[in-house]
This record gives sequence, C-alpha cells and structure tokens, in this order.
Amino acid sequence: MTDKFAPKPDSSVIVQAEKVNKFFGKLHVLNNISLEVRQNEVVVILGPSGSGKSTFLRCINHLEKINSGHIYVNGHMIGYSERNGKLIEDNEANISRQRAEIGMVFQRFNLFPHLTALENIMEAPVHVRKIATAQAREDAERLLARVGLEAKRNQYPNQLSGGQQQRVAIARALAMKPTLMLFDEPTSALDPEMIGEVLDVMKELAHQMTMIVVSHEMGFAKAAADRVVFMDYGQIVEQGTPDEFFSNPKEERSRLFLSQILH
Amino acid sequence: MYHFDWALFWTYVWPVTALQNPLIRNGLLATVVVSIIAQVLGVVFGLFAALGKMSKFPGFRWLAEGYIWYFRGTPLLVQMALLFFGLGVTHIYDFPDIKFGIVTITGAIQAGTLALAINEGAYMAEIIRAGIESIDPGQMEAAKSLGMGYALAMRRIILPQAAKVIIPPLGNEFNNMMKTTSLMEIISAGELFFAFNQINARVFKPFELFIAASLYYLLLTTIWSLIQARIEAGLGERKGDTEKQGMFARLLSGTSKGGH
Repeated sequence: MTDKFAPKPDSSVIVQAEKVNKFFGKLHVLNNISLEVRQNEVVVILGPSGSGKSTFLRCINHLEKINSGHIYVNGHMIGYSERNGKLIEDNEANISRQRAEIGMVFQRFNLFPHLTALENIMEAPVHVRKIATAQAREDAERLLARVGLEAKRNQYPNQLSGGQQQRVAIARALAMKPTLMLFDEPTSALDPEMIGEVLDVMKELAHQMTMIVVSHEMGFAKAAADRVVFMDYGQIVEQGTPDEFFSNPKEERSRLFLSQILH
Repeated sequence: MYHFDWALFWTYVWPVTALQNPLIRNGLLATVVVSIIAQVLGVVFGLFAALGKMSKFPGFRWLAEGYIWYFRGTPLLVQMALLFFGLGVTHIYDFPDIKFGIVTITGAIQAGTLALAINEGAYMAEIIRAGIESIDPGQMEAAKSLGMGYALAMRRIILPQAAKVIIPPLGNEFNNMMKTTSLMEIISAGELFFAFNQINARVFKPFELFIAASLYYLLLTTIWSLIQARIEAGLGERKGDTEKQGMFARLLSGTSKGGH
C-alpha cells in the first residue's frame, strides 16, 4: 500500500500529475504532462480540439488509461499501483472508490434518462455510499435548490432544457461530496442562451472546491479561474493567471490560438 | 371424397368438451408453463451470454461465442434429442420424474424445457447484447464517474434502459416459444401436440385433430399478442411515442421467424 502515496504528501495539493504519457496507437495524445492543482484552486484548461485536454481530464478519474507517469489525487495514485517501476492497474473496487471522490460533468450531460432529476442525484449516494434514502432525498433537494431547479425535481431529463440538464448533472456530481470536480466542456453542447445559467452555477462553486475545467469560455476563465493552462499537441505549452495569459501570452502557439478564438 | 368428422372436430375444438380430456388439459397446461419457464431461463442464459460476449476477458468471450454459435447453428430438435436420449443412455443424467404433491414433472418435460431454454438463451444473447449496445456509452461513463462498479452500473443504469429496447423482440420470442414447445413431441413430453398425437393414434383422424391442435396454438399466440400490445403501449407512453403498431399488423408481420 505504501507505494499508493505520493513521495512528499502535501495536503494542500489535490491533483498532482507527473510526466503523464498516453498514446492512441501511434498518436502521442499526452506528452509528459505535469500539473499540480491546489485545494480550492480553479484551473481552466484551454487548447484547440485534439490537443489532449479532454483526454487528460478523463485520465484524472481513470476513464482513460495512461501509458506512463503518475496521477495522484489527494495523495493517492489514481488507477494504478507501481511495482518495480511498472504501472499495474488497480482492481475495479479500488478504482470505483477513488472515482467516488471525484465529480465529473460531461459535455453531453449524461443524465440517466429513466430517472427523475431527484432520482438522478440520489442514485449514487444511495447505491454507492449506502446513505439512507430519506437522507439522500433531503440532500438531493437541497442540491437542486442550490442549482435553482427545486421545481423540476420530478421531471425526467427529456423534459428539461439542455441548461437545466447540465445543472442537474452538476448537482448529481456534488451529491457525492467530491473533493475535486472535473468539467469536460460543460457548455459546448448548449444553446447560447443557456450557457450563462450553467456558468453561473460553476462560478458559485468556484473557490469552495477544487475545479478543473476544460472549456472555451473566456468569460468564465477571466471571472473565476486562478490559473489558465494552455495545451497543444498533447503538451502544456503555457500556464499563468488569466490576466497574464489573455493579455500577454508568452508563446507563439498561445497567441495564435487566442487570435483564432477571439474573433 | 374424404368424410370430415364434424362431430369429432367440434368435440376437440370446443374448449369445454376438449378440456375434459386429461391429455389435452395437461398438455395445454404443460405448453403454457413450459413456455414461460423456458423463456425466463432463456433470458437468464442470454443475459450471461451477452455479458460474456462483451467481456474484456477472452475466456468469457470465447465461451459465450461458442455457446451462441453451437445452439444457433444446430437444430433445436437435435439438441433436444441429444439432451434427453443422449444424457439418458450414458447415465450422465437420467432425468427422473420429479413429484410435487399431485403434480409430476416428467423427465421428458424437464429435458424439453431445458433444451428450449438453452436454445432460447443463444437467441436472447444477441437481442440483449443489441439492447445493451444501443445505450449511449456516456451512460456507463457517468455511472463509473459516480463510483459505480460494472455490475452496479449494469443493474441500475444500463439494463433498465436496455429493457425498453429488449422487450418488443422478447415478446416475439415468447410467441415463437409457445409454438416451438411442440417439438417436445419427439421426446414424448406431454404437451399439447403430444396430446393430440396420442388421441390420433387411437382414432386416426389426423386432419380433424391437427386442425384442432393448430387452433389451440393460434389461441395462445393471439392472447399473447394482445398482452404484448398492452405492454408495448405502456412502454411507448413512458417514452412519449405516439405510434403504436396495431395488433393485426403484429400478428401478420413480427411473429414469424421459423427455423429455430
């Protein structure tokens, strides 16, 4: 078990990625990615499509495997243990236990269509955490209120707008009381008039918990991010505060990217 | 000119008189009960075979694929004879009669039910797999991201959604199953066709008797089609579908598969 812990545990570091490499066949999708995220920090990852930013996010809760390197969340290595320098994939129960501490919000919401909004939120607390149904219901109602949807508790996902679905999806992830929230392009599948309501919920959460957000929303990055990380071709090209990055990008590739998306 | 024996025909068509004959009474009961048990077992076998076929472990995949390949690629009649006579003659399993109070389940009924179930499992495997694969992979990812393991995610998230896709073809399978039980006649299991055959051996009126037999099967499949239409209308309402297939459209189209 000892090798499950980071060499120098620093309790304020929530995510520590060290030299993460991943290949899809010959394609080097993640090229020596190293990144540290501290408690209650909000990190926005930017980059052109195909830059590996979503893949990296999905490695943090082991929805994707990695080929080498280490990812620690709360000091525990995610998805693997290491023996003689080799990564050995964890058993399913361990991986599930780790994922339960990491919330994830998907581009396509992925609400469970056969369950109501309230049941979507209660599902994992009841069946994974084994919390009593009455307690889980109370928590779920509080979370629905927090995302402004208490009136929609008994609606099914297909009766909700995209923005409402994504807010329920955020509440569903929060119901597990995660220490870290991952947002994978949470507004990319939304109609423009619904993006604001989702970003508002995310801004509410910012600095109350650790967040890693893959998004193109400059407004959100400027308003809520502590740090912007720019990725291209599977590498971290540049990182800094939103101010530094947006007004004075150091790298040529960052400048090119910004000039493309700001038009 | 053949003399059609109307009196005998009506005796065996009209349920009130026909069911006085214990052969037909027990045969009809056996056909219905065997169909239900074989179909339920078939769904269970099919579920395991479907999960096996989608497993990441090659051993499970090969096992499931071998099962599906063999039982879809060989005749049910042969499988049934192999199971009953084959296991009997080798004394691997003799299929002794089982008694529950006044009810006796003969070895032939046991073997026939098992053969039907194993064969049905191979067909259900493909139906269930198609149902599971029709579900957006994002559902499994969302379940995993919430800390659910594969089995829990399957049970709570994937299968309830897949059920909506699986139930219509499952209904058609059951329709077929009721007809296919007649193959158990070969191992002398006392189902409906066997009953009429026994009576025919005494009175030799195959034309009248087998028309009567066919009408009983028609009655069973028609009743089931009505029930099935109800079930599917219920599913459709929950999904918000407005289109519903009429009962006769179903009778004329969906239920003929033949060959297994």
